[in-house]
Amino acid sequence: MDLEKIIKNIDSLSPVSSTGTKIMEIISNPDSSLGEIVEVIQYDQSMTANLLKICNSSFFALREKVVSVRQAVSYLGMNNIANIVIMGNFSKNFNTSQDGYGLNEGELWKYSVSSAVIAQGLAEKRNVKNIPRLFTSALLKDIGKVVLSNYVQDAFKEIELKVQEDGMTFLQAEREVLGIDHAELGAMVAEKWNFNPEMVFVIRNHHNPINILIQDNPSIPIIYLADSICMMIGIGGGSDGLAYKYYQEVVDRLNFTEVELQKTIADFWEKTKAVEEMVTLSGGR
Amino acid sequence: MNIVVGVGDMKVSNDPDAVLVTYALGSCIGIGIYDPVAKVGGVLHYMLPDSEIDPEKAKKNPFMFGNTGIPLLFKETYKFGAAKNRLKVLVLGGAQILDQNGLFNIGKRNHTVLRKMFWKNNIIVDFEEVGGTVNRTIKLEVKTGEAIMKVCGTEVRRIPWI
Repeated sequence: MDLEKIIKNIDSLSPVSSTGTKIMEIISNPDSSLGEIVEVIQYDQSMTANLLKICNSSFFALREKVVSVRQAVSYLGMNNIANIVIMGNFSKNFNTSQDGYGLNEGELWKYSVSSAVIAQGLAEKRNVKNIPRLFTSALLKDIGKVVLSNYVQDAFKEIELKVQEDGMTFLQAEREVLGIDHAELGAMVAEKWNFNPEMVFVIRNHHNPINILIQDNPSIPIIYLADSICMMIGIGGGSDGLAYKYYQEVVDRLNFTEVELQKTIADFWEKTKAVEEMVTLSGGR
Repeated sequence: MNIVVGVGDMKVSNDPDAVLVTYALGSCIGIGIYDPVAKVGGVLHYMLPDSEIDPEKAKKNPFMFGNTGIPLLFKETYKFGAAKNRLKVLVLGGAQILDQNGLFNIGKRNHTVLRKMFWKNNIIVDFEEVGGTVNRTIKLEVKTGEAIMKVCGTEVRRIPWI
């Protein structure tokens, strides 16, 4: 397999808009304030309209309808506003099907939004500081699948054999057969898009969180756990299935009990319809 | 006509045109039952083993949990004339992430609760494929009881249960 050709395929992704780039700069830069996002988007009518639609959707279940960005910020807080704007700016590349992973149009986006929503919920309980950064990493961690899908499809039999017969994880099998895996490719995309190094790091290691436990950063176990929960529930479940490695010691770092695991799954069920609405609205720009 | 059984959901039907479908069972369990005489079928897709972690939620949606969903699946088919001794039973799902052990292994616990309940109630399973790391889909045709399964990424297979 021609590795260079696969990596070159990163160029086929839709580029990030100038607004998207500015917003990522704000989120990535520790000296920026999230409030600057409002300045970036306030003159973009379609983005504002879409933002308000999501703010007024059943996911947030506001009692009053919000009609301006300022009002939305005061009702939902800057973290949520940042997350919504990020979704709107990064959904485009997720809207195709990823046949190599057995995913129909929109399923990867649904998986990504669900995983980011669960991660946000876990992070809020653990007082994580930069929620939009964590949300974005959780949301975009599988962008490498978009790049790799066609190659996975061509080599699927071989990859599947390594998973089913040799007991490899899907990630190991991708690397073994194609020379690169979707996490590494995703990190390369994030680098190209000038994401903050911490986010690149998280994307690269989202299936191997054990590599990075030395870093005292709860974002990594949280994103890992949220991803595991989505796999268990089967949200946007693809042909890679649950063939990734589970690390209890990573989950234990969060003092996360099995009762909390079950409650998180049950709570997410209650939000399913609202999340689906948000998935549609955020991908529908 | 496909009737989709969502996650944490159950559907029972005796409409000969109906096909009950449930998609992407990960660690969740899907149970299909069918009475070939009354020609009634049902599918349950539950996510968690036991409602004791949140009885309030189980009141709102009993199909989320094995212990509350399983009895309702059987009872609902009886309303349509199904008889317990004629019911065919298939079980799929309960997958797990590699090396997931102990209490966090929801797939295995989902299966354990089912085995306990079936054993207590003398219910025999006609077809079962549980565990592994794959996502599974079930389709059950109400008219004939023909059922198929699909592991994501592989070919559709007919389930030999009727």
